[in-house]
Amino acid sequence: MIRLEKVSKVYDSGHVVVEALTDIDLTVDEGEYVAIMGSSGSGKSTLMHILGCLDNPTSGSYVLAGYDVSAMEPDALAKVRCSSVGFVFQQFNLLPRLTAAQNVELPLLYSSRPASEREGVVEEMLSKVGLADRGHHRPNELSGGESQRVAIARALANDPAILLADEPTGNLDTTTEEEIMSILDELNSQGRTVIVVTHDETVARHAKRTVHLLDGRIV
Amino acid sequence: MNFFAQLKLAAVSLRYNKSRSFLTTLGIIIGVMTVIAILSLLEGLNRKIKTEFSMLGSQTIFIQKVEWMISTPGNRQQLDFEELRKRPNFSIKDAEALALLPTIEVAVPTIDKGVGNLKRLGNTAQNCRLKGTAEGGDLTSNWVVEEGRFISREDRLHRRMVCVLGAYVADNLFGAENPIDKTIDVENHRYTVIGVLEEKGTMFGNPQDNVVIIPVSTYLKYNRMPRGWRSIWGGLTIEALPKRGVPLEDAMGDVEELLRIRRGLRYDEDNDFGLNTQQMIMSALQGITSTLWIVMIGIAAISLIVGGIGIMNIMLVSVAERTREIGIRKAVGARDHDILLQFLLESVLLAMLGGLVGILIGLGIARLVSALVPFLDAASPWWTVVLGFGFSAAVGIFFGIYPAQKAAKLNPIQAIRYE
Ligand SMILES: Nc1ncnc2c1ncn2[C@@H]1O[C@H](COP(=O)(O)OP(=O)(O)OP(=O)(O)O)[C@@H](O)[C@H]1O
Ligand SMILES: [Mg+2]
Repeated sequence: MIRLEKVSKVYDSGHVVVEALTDIDLTVDEGEYVAIMGSSGSGKSTLMHILGCLDNPTSGSYVLAGYDVSAMEPDALAKVRCSSVGFVFQQFNLLPRLTAAQNVELPLLYSSRPASEREGVVEEMLSKVGLADRGHHRPNELSGGESQRVAIARALANDPAILLADEPTGNLDTTTEEEIMSILDELNSQGRTVIVVTHDETVARHAKRTVHLLDGRIV
Repeated sequence: MNFFAQLKLAAVSLRYNKSRSFLTTLGIIIGVMTVIAILSLLEGLNRKIKTEFSMLGSQTIFIQKVEWMISTPGNRQQLDFEELRKRPNFSIKDAEALALLPTIEVAVPTIDKGVGNLKRLGNTAQNCRLKGTAEGGDLTSNWVVEEGRFISREDRLHRRMVCVLGAYVADNLFGAENPIDKTIDVENHRYTVIGVLEEKGTMFGNPQDNVVIIPVSTYLKYNRMPRGWRSIWGGLTIEALPKRGVPLEDAMGDVEELLRIRRGLRYDEDNDFGLNTQQMIMSALQGITSTLWIVMIGIAAISLIVGGIGIMNIMLVSVAERTREIGIRKAVGARDHDILLQFLLESVLLAMLGGLVGILIGLGIARLVSALVPFLDAASPWWTVVLGFGFSAAVGIFFGIYPAQKAAKLNPIQAIRYE
């Protein structure tokens, strides 16, 4: 499913050069549940961005579902993001002006799903995360846990094979954390590949495999 | 993302910033308003001129002692009255000679004067004119005979005491009666009515239907040819009509050559006559309207550029404000051109809303001006509206493309992290 070989990421801002990732080799099979752990600044988010096709690696190759995405053009990457990857952020990143339902609808708009189908999919996704009755609320009317659930519903809208979550519970208390993690567990049990970045051992314990990063390398 | 969804997105976003959006479009509003208002007035003026001059007959050459001149601010010619007075009068013989030219269909000698109020059985027609003309004079002056007939060759040769009445004269002297074969008295001479003309209306405020038309020979039997000063404008006018298919310039060339020969003018002497056409007045007026055009284009261009820069500015602000939104949209699968289209549509929509308001205000101004100025009737053909929309859309695209490209090129990760 996912196959990284000698992937490096170098941030060159002109005067400072930061090597965020160095020679990452990582294989994740379909249906796996992987936790990525590491101290702050170890490169977890950078790795997730590359896995989620939000960024290109500086060198190395990344094969996703049989396609080499490491050298893809921005538009092709956008298409992969749209159809194959769902991304959940620590900060939820919902669009504040849109309602929960409209936020969930976004990926459907960009994958050009017909309007007749969109409504049904949005409803289905919201009920999957237990928010069927909150579709017309705006993000500022939702709690943190609810916002993150909307974000998960949005990530699932186009039924991606992989769900990536970068510290999805980082801004939440422990009870809400459990809610979110049980949703991820269930998604994985239904056969979806789930990769979650976390600082938290209790979160990592949900996963079936843990990858440790230190200074941009897998240890 | 399909186009309609994008359009909706842009509209929602504009509504979110209503007052800012409105202020941004002021430049466009003023620009489009100027274009629409001035175009409508110019078009109205043009149509007016065209209909007014169609009364003259567009192909007719008016051969007179003086050339018509239109005084425009830049062209104030001094007339040399002494020279004009000395110019020879035209004669019936001149008209006969001109009629023989192969390029000329008819050449009609005409002469007219005011005869004041005409009375008949207690009815009055005010301020009438008596015009002597000949067969074909209906063609050269664009008269249409409604009833009866026009002056004929026999009427002219036999100096018959017959007349054709303008609509105003017929209406006021005869009312519901049929004037044909009845008589009227003009300056103590009795004429039998042989025809009535269709109504023409006014030409630049001058009534045209207050005429009594008689054979030119009859006219000259009772009236001396004006002399001296009065002959300059009051003398014989020959109205010549080119044959069908002959260009006006060719016919005018022939007329000029023949008249120069008949008057024995040497090659280095100027014409001592004027060949006048409707076109001359039209082109002089065109000169005035073209000045207005330049003024309009200037105002419109400046305000459209100012408006466009305003739009570009507000769109750049908008892109900066919504950097996070752009990042999120890209993260969930928006392609560069989805983002480009989103912001471009927003600026085009903004500009076109300004255009719409400008069009409405412009049309309002045109209406107002035509209501206030009696001889001006604004005409707003559909293409002025299309032009207004087209210009504003073009401004929206031209000044919106840079901010939209800037938005589209944002890196999603950096955009999401943007505070
Ligand atoms: N856009 C960037 N430009 C320059 N350096 C960057 C950029 N993004 C990340 N880095 C650097 O790359 C390294 C890895 O960052 P990354 O965000 O992947 O860490 P992380 O493991 O996610 O940390 P945290 O747990 O705090 O989220 C850090 O040293 C960071 O400063
Ligand atoms: Mg991170």
